[in-house]
Amino acid sequence: MTIMSQWRAAILVAGLLSTGFTPALAQDGQRVTITGEISDTWCSISGLMFAKGTAHHQCAVWCALGGIPVSIRDAGGNLYLVLKIGDDEDSVANPRVARMATHEVSVDGELLERDGVKYLLVDRIADDKGVITMTHEEYGIQPFGN
Amino acid sequence: MRTQGEAATWFRGLVLVGALTSAHAIAAEAWNIPHEKAAVLKGRVVDALCQLKGRCAPDCGGGKRQLGLVLADGTFRLIAKGNVDFAGAVPDLIGYCGRDIEADGLLIENPAITVFFVQGVRTDPALPFTPTERFKAEWETRNGQAAEWWRADPQANRIIAEDGPFGIKGLLPKPKP
Repeated sequence: MTIMSQWRAAILVAGLLSTGFTPALAQDGQRVTITGEISDTWCSISGLMFAKGTAHHQCAVWCALGGIPVSIRDAGGNLYLVLKIGDDEDSVANPRVARMATHEVSVDGELLERDGVKYLLVDRIADDKGVITMTHEEYGIQPFGN
Repeated sequence: MRTQGEAATWFRGLVLVGALTSAHAIAAEAWNIPHEKAAVLKGRVVDALCQLKGRCAPDCGGGKRQLGLVLADGTFRLIAKGNVDFAGAVPDLIGYCGRDIEADGLLIENPAITVFFVQGVRTDPALPFTPTERFKAEWETRNGQAAEWWRADPQANRIIAEDGPFGIKGLLPKPKP
């Protein structure tokens, strides 16, 4: 490390410290492959609507763009809250993620568990089947029917 | 002119009303969500990716990262929702990055995930909670007023126009009879 880069690192750390940088309990997670539907976390747990598949696609787009955390729900009902995809660390109102709402995906990444939440740091999307769970015939368009 | 006894009764009544008003002011609205519990969390606003993995960004990510609270006992609570329909609470929290706040809301300890739905925030316990409604104000600054931001959002409408309301190109709702 050159003196210049040491200075840059010191300035960066000082800047982070002045703006709420409080890393604690940073952990190494478990390497995982998760398969499931991309959904908004709120609708998945609130029970206020049917939050799966085609019926829920539009609502999931709205929630993702509204900044509600996006999760992957696997076949067992586990929710994996996505904090990054590849180098993209924008986990709030990310249009790229909103476009994948209700898609069935398989992802590789790192799983971190803390205080009742499974956080997922996605390295890559190994497969994206698009929307494959057809629920609109039975449930219409959630939550308002249009 | 009140007697001493009447004055004491009147004062006790005032204290009771004050206590009830105060309790009402900090009580989160129930949503009858499975596993919800009204709670006031006290903690420091942090960026989730920084807190969990040490991947930090200035200003907690400037509104682009999910945020949460680190409580005094070290518990980390992700804040998933604010008071605006279909919207999170990052706009309400980002101004407090690295600072201690009180958050009034619903702690939802679903077996699949535990998150907090924040309805009000404050830094001074003597002051009332500020409702978590900044998302709508900021959205309207960018896009103009709308009764339902989600139906008027240009980005959402672009995605839905391209992929359809069901997320499958060409698959459209049946015309209503």
